[in-house]
Amino acid sequence: MESPMERSPNDFRPVAPEYFTVKLIGWALNTALYLLIALVPLILRLFGVQTPNWLAIAPPLAVLLVALLVLRLLRRRVRALGYLEREEDLVVRSGVMWRKQLVIPYGRMQYVEVTSGPLERKYGLCKLTLNTASGSATAVIPGLGQRTGEDLRERLSAAGEAKML
Amino acid sequence: MTDQWQRVHPASPFVRGWVAIVGLAYIYWQNTNDLTLAERLSGERLRWTVVIGAGALLVVLVFYALSWYFTRYMITPSHVYVNSGMIFRSQKQARIDRVQGIEVAQPLVARLLGLAELHFDVADGSQSMLRLSFLRKADAQQLRALILDRAHAARGGQAQPDVPETEQAPHDVAPAGAAPETGVLMAKVPHGRLLASLFLRMPTIIGLLSALALGIMTLSGIGGMVAGLIPALLAFGGWFYKELNNSWNFSAAATDTGLRVSRGLADTRQQSIPAGRVQSIQVTSPALWRLLGWYRVEVNALGVGSQEEAQNLLVLPVGDFDAVARVMGILLPDLGVENQRKVLFTAINSGGEEHGFTLSPQRARPLSPGAWKNQGFLATDTTVITRYGWLARVTAFTAHNRVQGLMLRQGPLERRRQLAGLRIYSAGGTVTGYIQQVDAQIAGKFFEEQSRRIAGR
Repeated sequence: MESPMERSPNDFRPVAPEYFTVKLIGWALNTALYLLIALVPLILRLFGVQTPNWLAIAPPLAVLLVALLVLRLLRRRVRALGYLEREEDLVVRSGVMWRKQLVIPYGRMQYVEVTSGPLERKYGLCKLTLNTASGSATAVIPGLGQRTGEDLRERLSAAGEAKML
Repeated sequence: MTDQWQRVHPASPFVRGWVAIVGLAYIYWQNTNDLTLAERLSGERLRWTVVIGAGALLVVLVFYALSWYFTRYMITPSHVYVNSGMIFRSQKQARIDRVQGIEVAQPLVARLLGLAELHFDVADGSQSMLRLSFLRKADAQQLRALILDRAHAARGGQAQPDVPETEQAPHDVAPAGAAPETGVLMAKVPHGRLLASLFLRMPTIIGLLSALALGIMTLSGIGGMVAGLIPALLAFGGWFYKELNNSWNFSAAATDTGLRVSRGLADTRQQSIPAGRVQSIQVTSPALWRLLGWYRVEVNALGVGSQEEAQNLLVLPVGDFDAVARVMGILLPDLGVENQRKVLFTAINSGGEEHGFTLSPQRARPLSPGAWKNQGFLATDTTVITRYGWLARVTAFTAHNRVQGLMLRQGPLERRRQLAGLRIYSAGGTVTGYIQQVDAQIAGKFFEEQSRRIAGR
């Protein structure tokens, strides 16, 4: 089916494949946390507190179900991430179910940041954020290799300055 | 009165500090709650009350006096300086040629005392706003005219041969371009119309209905539900008061640079909005207003008013089509089409495809029943106009060179019907252009064209 999002998928540069591992670890931690909360009634029952059957069983099942659905989309979500440097602007693509493409002209750029959390650092990744004067028009590209991110930042800054003059 | 250090009005600390005095009184009242009035006002007790009260008052007054003593300002031909603080000294300054506009604000207490403060909009990217509080209202107005005059001269505009001293009557030296105090009146909102417009809005109707329900329930003796409705009523009251306070006595006048707006019930404020700082304009028409042909106009503007308020700048609380056309004519003089008035009418009132608007196709109907016939967009030479809504209509105008970014979006249901939406972002507020569920091919093409268009400007 024809859609504007599939216009030129191959032109977009994908993010580093290691980013999937980072997302996977994040997913596992989140799931564990939610599961722990959902298991509270069951644990209480083991300690002899009266809890209804459904309250002991339903929450962990629901959490597992949602977690598996998210897991199914995870790889595709990472694969859907991409960016495209064009002559005048940067295009960032994301989303599997809700697809988005954000375009920001280099001339509107205010500053570019490269940040990385502990988990991302472990896998040599970073996140690039491109800010404009508008809070909503902020391009975020996660899961870039350290080197790629730094280079991209340099290129974007240079392009922005050239536009400003 | 300039070029040397000046003090603000002696009553200034009281405007913000009256809470302390009220607080003291309240604490006293709370701690003696168990006594009767007669006990409070007799004998030994009275003496102690008076002594301690006077002591506390003295302390507060000393602090007021010190705060006043240490607050000074100076206006030189090139800078505005404001010093304040006794222990934590703060010295702020602004270059006069960077002053974009000055707002004269009057919080409630200041207004009762006939005082006003000046807020400086300075285009130097500093986060903290320069305020000068408080002066007598007339002095504040004069100072504002003087500083704007100097700013104008410093920027190399038609420099006044001699900067007028404020001792002279300001009218004598107010040629076009110098003092934007007088301007052509563009819109004025009579009290009756403002009240009528507020009563025709959804929150008021819901508020009144819940008040009615509250009355009926109380009368018929169902007490239990009453508690649930009270928060709703309070929220409604707060909303109503805020709207009233924001829009009361509204008037907008044209100046040589843009629009000058004055409004307020308890807190009156005057703001000048240079047309060049307007990023995006939103015209809203709530459902019941459409029967009367009324609109509300808000803008995204950079560096006007305090940015902390997460609120758009109101440039017309309620007005008919002519008023909207006049205000828009100043803030967005070039719509980029031949017959601006007709296009504006199509955009905010009649809807439809005239003048080249692109609308949602019929297959968008299940996703936005009612609204699909109205939602659409038009890109002119200078501006992109977007429109959505069914009962209430919202239209946004953003000049191409003010667009900060574009987002193309497509959800799963939209994908199945080959539809897509777009968002047009601009700076300085929450006004966003929404294009909902147009044909996916058209949306993709527009995304490409528009990104090229905004990058080129």
